Amino acid sequence: MMNFLKRAFYSMKVKKGRTLLLTVVFSAILIFILAGLTIQSASLKATENAKKSMGATVTLSANMENIFKNAQKSMTEDGEKEKRDFTIPSIDGETVRKLSALDNIDSLSITSSTTVNASSFEAITATEETSTEEDAASGGRGFGGTGMMGGKTSGDISLAGTNDSATASAFLNDTAKITDGVGITSADAGTKNAVIEKNLATENKIVVGDTVKIKNTDEQAYTLKVVGIYESTETADQRSMQIPALNPYNKIYTATDFVNKVKGSTYKDTADSVLFTLTDPEQMTSFVKEAKAAGLDTDMYSLQTNDQVYQQMIEPLKNVESFAQKIVWLVAIAGTIILALIVIITIRERKYEIGVLLSLGEKRLKIIGQFFAELILVLVMALVIAGISGQFVGNYVGQQLLEQQNTTSAATTTTTESQGRPGTINGPGAGGQGQGGPGGQDGGPSIGGFGANNASDAEKIKELDINLSIEELVQLGGLGLGISFLAVILASIGIMRMQPKKILNS
Amino acid sequence: MLKIEKMNYWYQSKSEPLYHAIDLAFEAGKLYGILGSSGSGKTTFLSLIAGLDRPKTGDIYYNNESLKKIGLTNYRNQYVSIVFQSYNLLPYLSALDNIVAALEITNSQHKNRKTYAIDMLAKVGIDENLARKNVQHLSGGQQQRVAIVRAMCCDAKLVVADEPTGNLDETNSREIIRLFTQLAHEQGKCVIVITHEKEIAYACDVILELKEKKFTQVDKAPN
Repeated sequence: MMNFLKRAFYSMKVKKGRTLLLTVVFSAILIFILAGLTIQSASLKATENAKKSMGATVTLSANMENIFKNAQKSMTEDGEKEKRDFTIPSIDGETVRKLSALDNIDSLSITSSTTVNASSFEAITATEETSTEEDAASGGRGFGGTGMMGGKTSGDISLAGTNDSATASAFLNDTAKITDGVGITSADAGTKNAVIEKNLATENKIVVGDTVKIKNTDEQAYTLKVVGIYESTETADQRSMQIPALNPYNKIYTATDFVNKVKGSTYKDTADSVLFTLTDPEQMTSFVKEAKAAGLDTDMYSLQTNDQVYQQMIEPLKNVESFAQKIVWLVAIAGTIILALIVIITIRERKYEIGVLLSLGEKRLKIIGQFFAELILVLVMALVIAGISGQFVGNYVGQQLLEQQNTTSAATTTTTESQGRPGTINGPGAGGQGQGGPGGQDGGPSIGGFGANNASDAEKIKELDINLSIEELVQLGGLGLGISFLAVILASIGIMRMQPKKILNS
Repeated sequence: MLKIEKMNYWYQSKSEPLYHAIDLAFEAGKLYGILGSSGSGKTTFLSLIAGLDRPKTGDIYYNNESLKKIGLTNYRNQYVSIVFQSYNLLPYLSALDNIVAALEITNSQHKNRKTYAIDMLAKVGIDENLARKNVQHLSGGQQQRVAIVRAMCCDAKLVVADEPTGNLDETNSREIIRLFTQLAHEQGKCVIVITHEKEIAYACDVILELKEKKFTQVDKAPN
């Protein structure tokens, strides 16, 4: 048994050139396979992480597209081109409760917003420090509506009603942080508790426990109790220089029902939008289906998933992963063929040796076993070489591929955008996490409602964490073993047909 | 030990048979010499009795068992040792390893195979130092002696040799014949030597000459 292994070792030791050639070829094959495997696994890992970081959110808001369409239609029918007033529906409490009862909901954030005027304090007006050169078109972050639609004057303070300030996008994105006191929770329902921005508080010498007065645009006054102060790191854009309510420092968080009360009696038990955070991104489609099945009026309301952002984020990764998989298969098949050819040529050269062994009564299987053992020894050496260099090659090829995929994807997005960015009219976009701008009082709820992280704004994954693991090395070893086995099997067809007399006579 | 019945062979299907149906018997403990002119079919005969090829007609029996039943690989592995005219050693091994490899392949019963091989090589004038060298570094004569020792070391009861002394000088040729005689007479093996050298043939117990497609026994010439 051991004899053919010993022969394999001696044969390789003496035929150094042949051994070196096989090692180089096998190493090259394994390096590419390993690169493919590591890229594939890194892509999968990155996709998983993206999935985790993105979370899974579905936003319920008014179906703006439908509303505009209907408004345009009625305008054409009536021929009253000058009349541009139309109602944007709020989401009624019954619909919110119906959808809240569905499965797979991790948390939900109910929002209602409006603008009011500061009464006992001064709103922060735009200064050079707060203004930026950022284009107003960056409204994708959420300053969709300004409340002008109702034909009433906008206030200077943005009142953001929430059932839980921790789930508000600014807090989720870490652009807002409670520095004193507490945030708004569901326990604040029915109260006039408020959380104000640190700069607004400092400017007006307001501390936790103080009361502040506000007035709605009908001059109705309300007294708020400050229960918390938060610090915003958001920068004001150019629009906020003209409209103070858009300045992030002028945003006050309160309970949703309080905002509804300020907006007027018709807004009782309503919301501008509801953000559902699901337990699993895979459940997004089924959640939308279930919501529709539960009787959601899709003419009035729309459900926007952030799946589009997620898909766009992982698209380059999917391409890289698919390419890496193809590399593995192609190299494995080509490698088997190349190795089989080399082994076949080697066997032809070693015909005489095979003849001698056969004349000594050596079994053909053991001769094949000797060649297999030789290839296994080569495989071990090649595995070491591939293990050392495979990660570098994988890193280089992987980053190049991802870069290329990101460039292609960016070019596609630019083309799409130049044709008109979808969703800007809808208010709630795919992301559904940006807090909307204040809405016009009495004129209807804010158009912006929930701004969106547009799909094109999705942060691309720019780096792959390519690391060689034991699992990949074992996988590579297994593939190498398979390739060696196939190569020897292909080559041994010749050995099985060899006749010792013919070999030795020739 | 070895019995040949109505054996014949031809190279191509329509070519003329190489022999008239051969009937021969070889006994254990005897050294046989087979003489014949070039092209008479001596080497083919050796291939057939060594199990390297199958006869076209007839059969060969080893201890009354047909080679067809034994199987040629098994026969070569267990029952016959072959010495080739062109040595046929494994080029990547030393003289010693060539012998040890053969002992391992044939599953020889010798306990200390290396020592046994060194002793046997020493008997044909190859010392341990030379024995450990790669066979490609040995002369033709030395390689021939290694090939002979390889066949002699194995446990097979039948040894067939094709022109074993072809590359040896007179002294070494005599030594080899002495070893073959010893194998036959002392170890009870059946040794069949194919040669064109009459001197070698005359040292054998039985001389057979292949002439006009048939074997005839030749009387030993007086010493």
